[in-house]
Amino acid sequence: MVKAICYTVAAILLCIGLFIFAEWYLDKQFEEFSAALDSLYTKIEDETATQEDGFAVRTLWEDKKSKLQILVPHNDISYIDYWLSEACGLLYNGQYDLALGKIEVLKEISKNLPDAYSIKLENIF
Amino acid sequence: MALIFIRTAIIFVTLLFVMRLMGKSQIGEMQPFEFVISLVIAELACIPMADTSIPILYGIIAIITIFILHQIVWLFQLWFKPVKNVISGKPSVVINKNGIDEFQLKKNNLDVSDLIESMRVAGYFNLDDVYYGLFEANGSFSALPKEEVTSTSLPMILIDRGTPDKKNLTRCGFDDERLNKLLKEQNAKLKEVVVMTVNGEGRVYFQKRGEKYKILQVEVNGEW
Repeated sequence: MVKAICYTVAAILLCIGLFIFAEWYLDKQFEEFSAALDSLYTKIEDETATQEDGFAVRTLWEDKKSKLQILVPHNDISYIDYWLSEACGLLYNGQYDLALGKIEVLKEISKNLPDAYSIKLENIF
Repeated sequence: MALIFIRTAIIFVTLLFVMRLMGKSQIGEMQPFEFVISLVIAELACIPMADTSIPILYGIIAIITIFILHQIVWLFQLWFKPVKNVISGKPSVVINKNGIDEFQLKKNNLDVSDLIESMRVAGYFNLDDVYYGLFEANGSFSALPKEEVTSTSLPMILIDRGTPDKKNLTRCGFDDERLNKLLKEQNAKLKEVVVMTVNGEGRVYFQKRGEKYKILQVEVNGEW
């Protein structure tokens, strides 16, 4: 009986800990990624962004991606991969106007994705 | 992550509620919450296993949630008896000394043929072979048998809650006229009959709604 209660309490605490960590970790990772995207966006607006700037954001994302895949469904991650690849390709060709649109989409995704996993009524139902 | 926990808990509670509403006929010798767990857990394990786009942690969290809910339900049942009645239900006495308790049968979404089938599975072939018959909370049938078996011939249902079984009536040599005569003798209308069975020896188990059952003797063409 005592053993069963201990296991239950341990499982509840483990879950609560994991939920808090997951929420905090997702927010932090996407905040950092959003900051990198903001800086790239500003550079594209000024038309000073180079392909290396795009690759730098991509490297940052690749680093985060490997850990985020534990917490986020892989389909959501592949959206970011897709839009980021397109943005990098456009930067390579110097098509700043089009690249700006792609970065805008990425900013929106990285803003909304952590929200999609937070405890909200609309997410539960 | 917490979303998975909440969603799993909602599904668990909904399934448990539905299983309780469905009554005992839907449960195969398990407590309702055990049945719900066995329904859910297989899917929870399979989905992240087969779909590689879903992190395996989602499956693990859902399974841990089920474990937590199981433990909570189990502890509640242990500590608070009224909760046990709500979650798991309580045994229903469907046969008592007056015969079949129609109210209890309805409450558990069962009919007379279900009851007779459960009795046969338990080894009792006549409705009056037992003093008491009850469906346990897990859906299994238990009975307090009479000392002696009343008959060695298989009974057939002729009327089940006011509905005559034409095929069985013909097989037993009952036409409408004969059935109406028997009902008139018993001062009962067809709709008032809870159950009427007859075996190959012509032994009739007859129960009118709100009255104690009667054992009658009739002539039948005992071909079975």
